[in-house]
Amino acid sequence: MQGKENRIIVEHVYKTFNVYLDKANSIKEKLLFWKRNRKETREVLKDINLTIKNGEAVALIGVNGSGKSTLLKLMTKIIYPNKGKIVTNGKLTSLLELGAGFHPDFSGRENIYFNASIFGLTRKEIDKRLDQIIEFSELGSYIDNPVRTYSSGMYMRLAFSVAINVDAEILLVDEILSVGDQHFQEKCINKMKELKKEGKTMVFVTHSLESARELCDRAVWLNKGIIQMDGDTNEVIDEYIKQTT
Amino acid sequence: MSIFKRLYQYRELLKTSIKKDIGGKYKNSFLGVIWSFINPLLQICVYAIVFPLIMRNNIENYTVFMVCGLIPWTYFASVINRSANVMIENGNIIKKVYFPREILPISLVTSETITFLISTVIIIGFVLITGVGISTLILFYPLLLLAQYIILIGISLIVSCVTVYFRDLQHFIGVFLQLLFYGTPIVYSIDTIPERFRWILNINPMTHIIEGYRDIFYYQQMPNMKSIFVIIAIGILVVLIGYAIFNKLQKRFAEEL
Repeated sequence: MQGKENRIIVEHVYKTFNVYLDKANSIKEKLLFWKRNRKETREVLKDINLTIKNGEAVALIGVNGSGKSTLLKLMTKIIYPNKGKIVTNGKLTSLLELGAGFHPDFSGRENIYFNASIFGLTRKEIDKRLDQIIEFSELGSYIDNPVRTYSSGMYMRLAFSVAINVDAEILLVDEILSVGDQHFQEKCINKMKELKKEGKTMVFVTHSLESARELCDRAVWLNKGIIQMDGDTNEVIDEYIKQTT
Repeated sequence: MSIFKRLYQYRELLKTSIKKDIGGKYKNSFLGVIWSFINPLLQICVYAIVFPLIMRNNIENYTVFMVCGLIPWTYFASVINRSANVMIENGNIIKKVYFPREILPISLVTSETITFLISTVIIIGFVLITGVGISTLILFYPLLLLAQYIILIGISLIVSCVTVYFRDLQHFIGVFLQLLFYGTPIVYSIDTIPERFRWILNINPMTHIIEGYRDIFYYQQMPNMKSIFVIIAIGILVVLIGYAIFNKLQKRFAEEL
């Protein structure tokens, strides 16, 4: 029964951004240079309709500027559509940019608490996952050092470990499968596969077509703000490669 | 209703950001938390020397009189000042992760409230040292604090989201607060103001709150309950309006920051 549930419903969504060519930031500037306030509206998404069912792993592909990341941000409610409606059912985690809210002066362990609380976890839930997160990050005894002493790889590993262990029903992932070294990348992909098996719903924005083929059973190709093609991963990617090269 | 559910779900975030706010403020300073005493004490020293010199008054125990107004005022002013910055400071997180944005102003007001609770020790210290003493009227203190807290939540919601769109407001707020400092009976008493100007003080909610604190600590008389409840009612109204504005404006935070 659960399998038929729709996790994400996107209905007739439009999104435009105002691009200020020369923004007047203060009232003084607004009064003096009111003519200067030229702005351009850029239509990033046009009439997007998309339904993602429970347990699906969907890849969003397309060239730069096609609106993939915007669509993902709309799903997480960081930004809101100008027209249309987006409904999500279930606990949602976004891995848009890792390590948001990390405080460099606090230790890795303290930052786990802070980062996980941004994802809406309670103290008890974090306590329960703490060992699992530390183990996954492979930071060992470094976990009690301040985060500013970490290498960028360690930083990303910690951030990824928190995000992946939040236990959300929906995971939104933006181009982060390039975390850490080969070994950790494989570990991440394996973890993703495991989560998929558990029936989590996932949406990936990726340029790595290989990992899309490996992980996703459906691909959506966005081109200039509209859905060009939607269907089986391999078919969509083959067509995408044919048209863009 | 959903707002309370959301806040409850994100209670850990609320707790950690309050903790980070209080703990982080003095993290790298040698004297640490002691600064939350030294700062207001130095300010009190300056005012206690300057104002009796430039303004003649016959207020008994002038320092205590002034402290009862100054400490709550500092709480009020620093909440508003910091609210103007809170979204811009946290722009990085706002752009990257979803969480209920109202957590930011609420945790700011709450952590400032805790700082105020700590600095209330200064008021109590002064009334004890100068022999004014403490009475059971102190039981009204939580009620006054509640009134001030509610109204500050409302103001903070409005200020924090409007400054995202009008950065100039930050500067206006500085000037406005300076003006309001003299429009509130902090360093002078209400009866020194000519009758025809008193309405200015009366429409200022901080007048009634400070008079309330003064009643329980300095005059040691029953505070004016009617005006406290009017302030609470106004506070609730400001919170409702503030939340409506906040909800509307927060949708484009990530794009404006």
